[in-house]
Amino acid sequence: MSVSLQQSSASAVLEARRAHNDKLARKADQARAVWFPLTLLALLSLLPLLQLSGNYNYVLHIVLFTASYVAMASSWNILGGFTGYVSLGHAVFFAIGGYFSGMILARFGISTIVTAPVAGLVAAIAGYLIGRITLNVRGPSFIISSIALLMIARILFDNWAFIGGANGVTLPVNSLSAQWAKVPYYYAMLAIAAVTVWVSYRIKHSKFGLGLRAISKDEVKAESAGIDTRFYKVLAFALSAFFVGMTGAVWGEYLTYLRPNIFLIILVSANLVLMCILGGKGTIAGPVIGAILIVALNELFVATMGASELNILGTGLVMALGLIFFPLGLVGTLARRGKLPRVLNWD
Amino acid sequence: MTDIIQILILGLALGGVIALMGSGLALVFGVMRIVNLAHPSLIIAGAYIAYWGAKLTGIDPIVMLPVAAAIMAGIGVLMYRLVFEREARNAKYSEMTVLLTFALAMIVEGVLGGLFTNTQRVTSPGYATDAFFLGDLFIPKGQLYAGLISLVIIGALSLFLKYSRLGYAIRATTQNREAAELLGVNVNLISVLAFAIGIGLAGAAGSLVSFVFSFFPAKHWEWIAMLMSVVVLGGMGSILGTVVAALLLSVIAAFVGTWVGATWSTMTFFLALFVILLIRPQGLFGEKPEMA
Repeated sequence: MSVSLQQSSASAVLEARRAHNDKLARKADQARAVWFPLTLLALLSLLPLLQLSGNYNYVLHIVLFTASYVAMASSWNILGGFTGYVSLGHAVFFAIGGYFSGMILARFGISTIVTAPVAGLVAAIAGYLIGRITLNVRGPSFIISSIALLMIARILFDNWAFIGGANGVTLPVNSLSAQWAKVPYYYAMLAIAAVTVWVSYRIKHSKFGLGLRAISKDEVKAESAGIDTRFYKVLAFALSAFFVGMTGAVWGEYLTYLRPNIFLIILVSANLVLMCILGGKGTIAGPVIGAILIVALNELFVATMGASELNILGTGLVMALGLIFFPLGLVGTLARRGKLPRVLNWD
Repeated sequence: MTDIIQILILGLALGGVIALMGSGLALVFGVMRIVNLAHPSLIIAGAYIAYWGAKLTGIDPIVMLPVAAAIMAGIGVLMYRLVFEREARNAKYSEMTVLLTFALAMIVEGVLGGLFTNTQRVTSPGYATDAFFLGDLFIPKGQLYAGLISLVIIGALSLFLKYSRLGYAIRATTQNREAAELLGVNVNLISVLAFAIGIGLAGAAGSLVSFVFSFFPAKHWEWIAMLMSVVVLGGMGSILGTVVAALLLSVIAAFVGTWVGATWSTMTFFLALFVILLIRPQGLFGEKPEMA
């Protein structure tokens, strides 16, 4: 009698909890403004129509440039934001993707837009192998190892004659008129950015994403709770290398040349970190907002001051101030205060 | 045989300078758990002080050393007060400081680049291009002086840490921050002091570096991984370990540079860093596996 009573009360508790969880989930669904990024994407995909009425190449370039950083920052966020492993070496995957597809374009004339997924895969495999090694260390040691990785890659790329060494490789220019030359890359980059944001959203809402966030809170406890932390971390690293590699592939052809001092510089990595920190590490909208802000700031710096030294100074200043005063980033800080506007809640 | 001795001498002389470059980094990490990625950029700032001292007044960079050290120590105090003091309460402190010092490195690079442009500079006192000859061997005077002065400074630092009361307090803080505070050490003051000494060492190293290497504001990215490998191999925070590691690695790098090729000699440091982090993250002399 009492046993059955206990069972029924236990099931009642479970039932109540499930109902409560459903209510929370529904509330979160209501708060989430998924329509906003979708509308934005739709509007941006119509933007090249402007070319029919004049020359808006600069506008297209800026959106393309921003999209490339949205993709890379969101991709970085899968590792750095969700698991808390800050990598300053992601420029390596940018270079691997760019060079892989770029060399195929230079040798066989196949557009990088076609080979970009393969380039992403190559970058992901590299990320997997590197992650197997470097993810054994945590915290500052991991950050330092990622810088060392970048330095090693730079020396290798600078001295590898097959890929042009420090002089790099010049890629063929596509046959479209100047009016439409940017458009294929525009759509490719927009698609990569959209897919990356979508994937990071899916990851965040999966058991895998939950595991990653558990790792960022307390890795030892996560491990003892039965999460295969090693596998999770390495997989996150490979995934975050994948989209950076794809972006690199398309970016290389868009630039029409590959050179180590464009792809393999620490400023590329630093920008990714900066965008995620400024926007909000571990959120979906954060890297997107961060990328838009940083590209806008960059354009402002370049337009008003021109010099690249001041650019570095500006990047450093924004990063330091952001870290000191808004360590949670724009989205994170607003969400913490309960003042996040609904259009920015994509989580 | 003379070849080997020759390479050994060159490696050791350079190693002395690298040891001084790394010792400030080790001290700052030891006392405050700050991985100071801005350290090499501050070394370059010190080098610019020596460079302009030599250029404008003709003062020898070695004479400028205390001036550069003092100026940089002042900047160190400023940096600590402005940036790191408030971060000390942060839970993810040591990871946060890596990013913060990374940002600081960019700021320093940007300021130096804006002021002095990205041209390669080097101070050229008479001895920089001169050498001693011992039979078949030659010892470049510049590197020899720089290496010897570095070792003297590190020796003085070790004596200070070992025998003075302040040095005692610094070492106590390195070993156990809370316990030191309980025993009446003013941990905050010690932190400022250690930070100032660490950055001062960067200034001192800078004035020596100014005639050993050519430098420009963006050069510090090459040095950061090199210095980190020295400090990590030395055991993150151990000055003696840093010296041993610097001498060891730069001798290996000198051999690699001669026998394999000059571009690969810097690779020695990066690969070493990688391997050490994997095999023995606590370094040669370190005891704290918590870093792993």
